[in-house]
Parts: sequence; C-alpha cells; structure tokens
Amino acid sequence: MALQFQQRGSALVRRVLLVAFLIVSLALLTTYAREGETGPLHGVQSAVSGAFAPLSRAGAAVGSGAASVGEGVEDLTANDDTLSGLRDANAELVEQLAQAEEYRQEAQRLQGLLDMKDAYDIEGTGARVIGRSATAWDQTVAIDKGSADGVDSGLTVMGPSGVVGQIVATTEHTSTVRLLTDPQSGAAALLQSTRAEGVVRGSLEGLLYLENLDADAEVQVGDIVVTSGLGGSYKRGLVIGTVVKVDARQGDATRRVVVSPTGAVEALEEVLVVFSVGSDAGASDGDQGGDGQ
Amino acid sequence: MNVTRENIIVAVGAVVAVVLQVVVAPSIALFSAQPNVLLAYVLVVAIVRPLEAGPVLPFVLGLVCDLLGTGPVGGMAFLFVLASFAASRAFAVLDNDTVFMPLTILVAATFAVEMLYGALLMALGLAVNPIDAFLYRALPCSLYDCVVGLVLYPLFARLLAAGAQEREMHTPRLR
Repeated sequence: MALQFQQRGSALVRRVLLVAFLIVSLALLTTYAREGETGPLHGVQSAVSGAFAPLSRAGAAVGSGAASVGEGVEDLTANDDTLSGLRDANAELVEQLAQAEEYRQEAQRLQGLLDMKDAYDIEGTGARVIGRSATAWDQTVAIDKGSADGVDSGLTVMGPSGVVGQIVATTEHTSTVRLLTDPQSGAAALLQSTRAEGVVRGSLEGLLYLENLDADAEVQVGDIVVTSGLGGSYKRGLVIGTVVKVDARQGDATRRVVVSPTGAVEALEEVLVVFSVGSDAGASDGDQGGDGQ
Repeated sequence: MNVTRENIIVAVGAVVAVVLQVVVAPSIALFSAQPNVLLAYVLVVAIVRPLEAGPVLPFVLGLVCDLLGTGPVGGMAFLFVLASFAASRAFAVLDNDTVFMPLTILVAATFAVEMLYGALLMALGLAVNPIDAFLYRALPCSLYDCVVGLVLYPLFARLLAAGAQEREMHTPRLR
C-alpha cells in the first residue's frame, strides 16, 4: 500500500515536471527567437560554446594520440623478436620526419594566409581552429581568438584561399565562426567578370549556391565569385569561389549557380579574421573589430 | 531524488555522454552527419527504466545540446523531454521481452526528433528544402544516433537492470 502510494506520488511529480519542462522549453524557444544577437540566451550559448572549446581541442589531440598508440602497439608486436637499437633510432627518425612534415605543412598554410593578407592589404589577426560543431545541424568552427584580441561578431573570416565564414559569437579568448557552407549563412556576392550581383548561400548538402541573380546576367562555368560588401555583412572584394555549374539557362529567374569554395573548409586549421581590407583600413582603425556588422 | 546506485550510474553516464558529444562526435562526422550521443543516451535510459525515467535528464541534456550549438535554445530540450516520455510510455506498453521492441522505439524516436528539429529550424527561418533536410540531415543523423544507441543499450540494460529487477520493475532483459 505504502509502496503503491509512493509510486503514484512519484508518477504525479514526474508528470508535473514533464509539463513544467515542456513549458520552460517553449518559453526559452520563444525568448531565443525574439531576442537579438546580443540577448541573454545568445550570450549564455556563446559562453557555453567558449567554455567547451578547450575540450574540443582535447578531442583533436585524443584523435592523433590514439593513432600514435595504434602505431606504437603495431610496432611493438612486429618487433617482438628483432627489437634493436637500430630500429629504435629508425622509429625516432620517422617520428622526427613526421613532425618536420607537420611543421612544413603548417608553415605552408601560414604562408598562404600571409600572402593573402598582403595581396588584399588585410588588417586582421590569425587564429587556429580549435574545435568543430558538436551538433549536425550547424556548420561552425571554434577559433582561439576572442574579444580580447579585437574579434567581434560579424567579422569576415578567411581561409588560405578565400572567405570561409563569419564570426557569430565571441567569448574573451574564443570565437565561433559560422562557415559559408552552413545553410544559415548568406553573403552578398558578385561575379567578377560581369559584376552581376547575387547572394551566396550554404546548404545542407555542403554546396554553395549563388542565388537571386538577375535573369539576364551572364554566368559561365569558371567565373570567379567575390563578396560585394552590400549589406555590410562581409568585407568587399574577397574571393569566395568559382562557378562550377549553372542549373538553368540565362533568362530563367529561378536559376541557381553552384559555387565551389576556393579552399576545403573541412580541412581548415588556421584562419584569418579580417578587421579591414585595403582602403577602409584607415577608416576602421578606431573601431577595429566592430565594423564588420 | 534518492541517491541510489542506478541514479549515480545515470548521472555519470550523462557526463560521459556530454564529453563524447563534444570530443568524439565532431571527429566521426560522415558527410556532415554526426551522431547525437546525448539523444541516444536519453532514449536508452528512457527505455531501460521506463517507469523510473523522469523528465529531468532529457531536459538537462537537451538544454546542453542546445547550448553547445548555434540553434534555438529550448528546441532540443523540448524534443528530448517529449521523445523520452513517448519512448518510455511506448516501451511500458509494447514490451515483449525481446530486443526488437526497444530497438524499434529507439529508431522511431531518434528519427522523429531529428525530423522535428529540422522542421523547427525551418519554421524559425532556415531556408532549406524539407527533402534536403530529410536526406542530408534527419535520415543519416538518426541512423547514426541508432548506432550509438545500439552500443549504449546493452551496456545500460545490464548496468541498470539488476536493481530494477530486484524491485520487480519493468526492465528489458537481453535475449
């Protein structure tokens, strides 16, 4: 009897909690949808993402560590009978060679970023990618520079070959970059050859689409797509990618153009956060990091 | 809430699930689809403890899931609570002492959550084709979630079943 009463009581509590949590969830959802980018829930989300970013970095280290352990175990079993100093030295050399190759590739990537910085006369700061989105529905990366380094929401982020995304949230020492391939991304863009304007959007399949083009605009496969700077969301004149496919013929108002990003966003390791480009460098010296909106 | 062995296991499992979601899930993404370990864990607990699982764990883990991403806060929390409740009720009613029923419930619940979350994002302004959302996210992600659930289910069925069976609770036995 007493047990039954207890079970009924706890069932009632669970139902009350169920209704309460559903109501709280809906209230949070409504508040989040209505508040701006600077609202308290966005702030909490940004802070939590920043707090978990070092854990993501540990994830990358764990991944490479696991690979090393695997190799180690393999070597250990293979060398069980013929273990010698020479083999140890060889292993050490191989490790050093791998390390040197890692440094060489990193230097190459950083050189690419520097070249691009010089070519566009970019005022900005370099950052390392320290984590990737923990959920499947958004394509974002975390970088190791935050508001303490002058990084602010809205700033354009470039990879070694072109624009890769935009800062959407910052903490003191980390930031979240929404990649161009995210379906929620949108960058005002133009075709470099014809100056036809449109909007580059990401998609769930990971492709970039150039949309809202004039029906009369000429588009050729191979055309370079650059940011137009309209709306102020991205800096002007930065390369996004090249046209690889045109879905419909000229004159069709609903045609979509597939754009291939100039760099592989999946392999991003270092990025450049753009504070200002070329001529607007002087104008934005005073509000570095805040003019990307 | 009483501090019992089962509750401690559930709490520790929740922490491990969060760590796995942050550390491992992004590294094992396939074509932009990655598992939602938190969802799989919540559903497994709901199925393994159908009469004891309350809405606290799904709400907290759903909220964590929302805060880890850039989507609407409260969305996953809402869906986790609903899915957990539906899964536990479905299991309590449909259990036939085989592994088939919990797995069916797991598949249905993960698919429902991924689809509804996509619909929620679209309702809030995500400009994507519903078919794309189904093909490129909901379907692969729910399959991935099920794989994680398949790994977690026997483990937690074994860990949590002992105590529950002693109290004649409705708990699955692996056959």
